[in-house]
Amino acid sequence: MGKITIFRESCKGVEDCGICIFVCPKKILVESDEMNPAGYVPPEVTDEVLCTNCQSCMIYCPDFAIVVEKPVEGGSDTEEAEDD
Amino acid sequence: MSADTHPLIKYTRSQVTRTSNCPGCGNGIVIQAILRAIDELGLTMDDFVFVAGIGCAGWIPSPLFAADTLHTTHGRPIAYATGIKMALPHKRVFVASGDGDLSAIGGNHLIHAARRNIDLTVVLVNNGIYGMTGGQTAPTTPRGLTTVTSPYGNMEHPFDISSLVAAAGASFVARWTTYHPRQMTKSIKKGIEKKGFALIEALSQCPVQYGRASKLGKAVDILKYFKISSVRISKALTMEPSELEGKLIVGEFVDIDKPELSESISLMRKQIEGE
Amino acid sequence: MIKGKGVSTGTHFMMGNVACAEGAIAAGCRFSAGYPITPASEVFNELCTRLPAAGGTMLQMEDEISAVCAAIGASWSGLKSMTVTSGPGISLMQENIGFAVATETPLVIVDVQRLGPSTGVPSVGLAGDMVQVSRGSHGDYQIIGLCPESPQEMFDLTIRAFNLAEQYRVPVFVLADGFVGHMRERVVIPEEKEIVLAERKITQGGEPMTRRDFLDTDVAPMPVFGRGFKAHVTSSCHDERGMRNLSDPEVMHRYITAPIQKILRHRDHIVEVEADYEGARIVLVSYGTVSRSARSAAIMARSEGLGVGTLRLKTAWPFPDKEVRQAAESAAYILVLENNSGQLLPYIKAESAHASKVEFLGPEILGQIHDPKYILARIRELMK
Repeated sequence: MGKITIFRESCKGVEDCGICIFVCPKKILVESDEMNPAGYVPPEVTDEVLCTNCQSCMIYCPDFAIVVEKPVEGGSDTEEAEDD
Repeated sequence: MSADTHPLIKYTRSQVTRTSNCPGCGNGIVIQAILRAIDELGLTMDDFVFVAGIGCAGWIPSPLFAADTLHTTHGRPIAYATGIKMALPHKRVFVASGDGDLSAIGGNHLIHAARRNIDLTVVLVNNGIYGMTGGQTAPTTPRGLTTVTSPYGNMEHPFDISSLVAAAGASFVARWTTYHPRQMTKSIKKGIEKKGFALIEALSQCPVQYGRASKLGKAVDILKYFKISSVRISKALTMEPSELEGKLIVGEFVDIDKPELSESISLMRKQIEGE
Repeated sequence: MIKGKGVSTGTHFMMGNVACAEGAIAAGCRFSAGYPITPASEVFNELCTRLPAAGGTMLQMEDEISAVCAAIGASWSGLKSMTVTSGPGISLMQENIGFAVATETPLVIVDVQRLGPSTGVPSVGLAGDMVQVSRGSHGDYQIIGLCPESPQEMFDLTIRAFNLAEQYRVPVFVLADGFVGHMRERVVIPEEKEIVLAERKITQGGEPMTRRDFLDTDVAPMPVFGRGFKAHVTSSCHDERGMRNLSDPEVMHRYITAPIQKILRHRDHIVEVEADYEGARIVLVSYGTVSRSARSAAIMARSEGLGVGTLRLKTAWPFPDKEVRQAAESAAYILVLENNSGQLLPYIKAESAHASKVEFLGPEILGQIHDPKYILARIRELMK
């Protein structure tokens, strides 16, 4: 299961990019309703529970705009990162 | 709680907050593939000197990467990189540029560097067209395609760059598409570690120019095309030429060890010192 | 070929091209990339033996373009660096000479000039590139050009070229020709400890975004590669930090003017001439090998009681405007002697015509240095 963060300001939009949506094997990324300040419409996550942490969206994104990590169960984020 | 930042951002200059690539451009996938390779090898940006050519792919390291970067004149990054490697033999000298820069105007330097087997890692981003200047024909544009400089259809035949560089004598040659970023990262790692001339040809989508000229369309459509048309070399070797028509052969084509130039020069210098 | 490892101290009977290579070794050059071309090849051939023995590297590249590029790359990596060629090679190198200027790269380019245009006559000396080296690349810029007249000066001025390149972070041309390149004369090479060398200022480090790596008219410290400075070097219009800026007009203005002022503000230090025209009515202005004929002609003229002096331009660029003007204002005639059809003539005339009559005398046959008697005949005519 993965924890997904979308950096909306970095995204260049679903219409001309949308690569994350294309590569997601679980189809849980869809176009969101709101433009970012640059005029692009980023994606949003429909059902994060279904995320398998395959990290394809993160690996394929051309703009560092989406990050997927193993979710934190209590404790600090830093600790979790070190365990990785 | 959400992630503060992308794990590879630490390799970029903090004042560069977005790339100037078009939406959907394959450059960004290649950027991540390169940074992931460096990260997985446990190297730092200070282990490298990056050399960029002119064209969209030249913007991969410049100004994004937080490292020594030389952004050269058109076609010449490999020539500049040769001087850098000779002067800094212990640094990883890494060239990133496009098919026009490296195989048209820069073609001579490409084949001679491969022939010399000088220890460089070259990521050649091949989008089949001249993107930055508005969609002109490249040495890699398929025959028949209509571009802004071949309005009646391209009447030339395209290079197979990987074959060209392999024939010129490179120690490591691999080709992947931006649909294969994980495999691309693996090959880039091998290329960095290889003591010799290493080429990783990255077939990449240019939705704005190539997508238009080829009528393939958007980034995702070109990635779909890469997915459907690519054939691993191991499989391709068992197929008939007719079955391979229109296919993109991907994989690692060359991985050999042979005397490398900067090392040979170093040995020669030690010999002379001893005399 | 000399087979030693360091400075070849001693008195030699040496070819100019070989003396140039020796000068490079003595100056601390440790990288040369080149491509064979007559009449320059001997410089590079000699370096191929001497440089590795001195701990340096030479590379024969696939063409002149890659030769100058590799030399610039090596300079950015911390080595004193050079390339060697002749006129056709300079033509090929022009775009990247511009790159070296725009990125403020220390670089020595030896140009053993030959008869052109185009392929011309490879083995005949002619000062064919006097303006090409200064204006052959696109845009506005300043470089330094030195004119040796003897194998001794091929040694001495090559050292000076490296020193100026390092001090001013600029390409410096050694403007030889086929005659001085191939002639053999006495060359005295001093002890290594007597040779004064200049080294580039290297940055102390610090954040790339707050450092000044470029565009200082007093020469910014160089953020050499491989030491963790994270330098960004581009020949696109850039600011003081080397970051590309194609939209701010103030930055565009400084990008052009700062490197120019960096040279012109220090022209008094850079320009060297040999002036011997006290009380002369005619001053013979020349440079390079033609100066030998000019000197002979002046001696012969004086022995006939004619008031003739000489002004030898040891530096062609930045152009010795003050020095030429001074000579023109003290004499009645400036007789310009060049082994070409008058390449520096317009520049000399611009500084002289208000005070002197300016005449040009090429050799009787282009490509053959002036016979001193031929110059003397013209002097006599002018004196009437």
